[in-house]
Amino acid sequence: MAQADDMHTASGRFGLVAMLLAPIILVNSFVFLLPILNLFRISFNEALPGGGIGPGGTLENWYKLAEDSYYLEIMLRSVGMSLLVTLLALLCSYPIALYVHRAKGAWRTFLFVLVVSPLLTSAVVRTYGWIAMLADQGLINNALGLLGFSPLRLLYNQTGIVIGLTEILMPYMILALLAGFGRLDPRCEEAALTLGATPVQTFWRIIVPLTAPGIALGCLLCFVLCVSSFITPRILGGGRVFLLATEIYDQAIVTLNWPGAATLSILVLVIFGAALVVYTRAVNRLN
Amino acid sequence: MATAQSAAAGDGAFLSLRGLRKVYTDFVAVENLHLDVPKGELIALLGPSGCGKTTTLRMIAGLASATAGHVMVGGRDITSAPPYDRDMGVVFQSYALFPHMTVAKNIAFGLQMRKVPRAEIDRRVAEAISLVRLNGMEERRPRELSGGQQQRVALARALVIRPSILLFDEPLSNLDAKLRDEMRTEIRDIQQRLGITAVFVTHDQSEALAMCDKVAVLNAGRLEQFGSPIELYEHPANPFVASFVGRVNRLPGTAAGTTVKVGAHDVILPKPMTGAVEVMVRPHRIALGGPSDTAPGANRVTGTISQVAYAGDLVQYGIDVGGTRWFVEQQTTAARPPEVPGTPVSLSWRVEDTLAFPAQG
Repeated sequence: MAQADDMHTASGRFGLVAMLLAPIILVNSFVFLLPILNLFRISFNEALPGGGIGPGGTLENWYKLAEDSYYLEIMLRSVGMSLLVTLLALLCSYPIALYVHRAKGAWRTFLFVLVVSPLLTSAVVRTYGWIAMLADQGLINNALGLLGFSPLRLLYNQTGIVIGLTEILMPYMILALLAGFGRLDPRCEEAALTLGATPVQTFWRIIVPLTAPGIALGCLLCFVLCVSSFITPRILGGGRVFLLATEIYDQAIVTLNWPGAATLSILVLVIFGAALVVYTRAVNRLN
Repeated sequence: MATAQSAAAGDGAFLSLRGLRKVYTDFVAVENLHLDVPKGELIALLGPSGCGKTTTLRMIAGLASATAGHVMVGGRDITSAPPYDRDMGVVFQSYALFPHMTVAKNIAFGLQMRKVPRAEIDRRVAEAISLVRLNGMEERRPRELSGGQQQRVALARALVIRPSILLFDEPLSNLDAKLRDEMRTEIRDIQQRLGITAVFVTHDQSEALAMCDKVAVLNAGRLEQFGSPIELYEHPANPFVASFVGRVNRLPGTAAGTTVKVGAHDVILPKPMTGAVEVMVRPHRIALGGPSDTAPGANRVTGTISQVAYAGDLVQYGIDVGGTRWFVEQQTTAARPPEVPGTPVSLSWRVEDTLAFPAQG
């Protein structure tokens, strides 16, 4: 009897969980999973001139991807640049996150709002802001000129994209870092100091390991956002820097080669998958 | 009390606090503190929360800067030395173990920072682990340990560096009562065996009296008294110390010589006083008797029992003496049941057990 009751409640609970999860499963299946499967399918379709999608079952798009060194080049460029942006965003965000984490009361709230506030403006607007800063006659080059230095080429190349993306992704990095700073205990730092560790040793031996979950999360988030970012590379690259995201756009919208765009999109998904594997391994090692 | 001899006072002392003062933006945490700790002794900083005891400990460790005054160790002024140059072991209230390191690595940390050779680290860590009886726990993480075991790791980590001074910041307050008693004995035992100079911060008077060679009672940032547990308990310097280190009956009276008028009764004092005084008698030093019993050479008042609280080992009586409530504690015995409310009784105690202070305010 009691057993039957248990089973009843257990199945009841399962039913409730299923019911609560059903909407999100349904929505994700239709607007996320299905389109991705479709994308995967289209990557095996023949591309017809003029934007047509030919019959399926061909590996032509994948062969092209493997054979043409241009694609390997943009893939390496995308991944390399994203790694660089992630590293720069981490270096710029870490001290800020640490400071916000240690701030107290209203000051902390104020800093937090300050960190989040760039997200209230669209990335497009902020990117145009960077044009005003980085252009040949922009703020930075004018300032350099006044100081007697020769101007730097900061716009419509990778340098500009790296600078812009780093700033645009910093709020995400800071938020992720803060989310992962839970284990940081000021008493541990004090304990390390009394045990003879200098502040520098305390930073590397105590603070960095304790904030590693935040670092891992922030880097994953930043890397993924960076590989898939399109607007900022497009505007700051001025169409002269070729990356995976811009190439997908060009193939889908400009040359109307949907199967080619689909193939590149799947490649980006594979890169994300790889990033997730690296992240999961890193987190498992931390625990 | 140490001010007059402050120049010479450092002679026998290993740790010496000279006029230590700490001011935060809105209040004074520690005011003009002088304290001398002889080598090898365990002293307590005792006081209610907010009395400045933890701030004092943090100034000794270098985790808080002193606004004024000096911290001297072995004659060396370390007031401005950073914590990592002070050679002190600290056991924190929350233990502050490194969660990402194993027990062995936690304990080895201080030795690695001191660039001790690998083989010696291994030997000393093993030694420290068996000293605190944690054998077999070397590869565990702090979160896999009980509170008492974490406490032992924290102790081993502080001891293994062979610090010149060991500092405890309320280390037992997170443990349950039974474990607390056990750790109390163990810490005292290890401290004496190693002959290490130690400062123990606590708000628990029984902990301070039972463990420490000397106790410094702090209140509102000031040192009220510094002395052995017996001095503190039997000869408290002021009403605050008398009531903080144990329970007391506090009775207002008027003294003339060695006799004080307390209500309708005359109480004999061990030393003469004059004017308004506050008389204090500890509840367990009072003996109960029949209303007409006399105790020669002792103080004696009569009253009526109004309240009885039986706690197993002790029974506490509330007794009405001429309109004033007195408390008396007696050890229980199976031979006699506790008295009942309404019983007329006499209260008697030795003259030596009578404390008196000039009335305040």
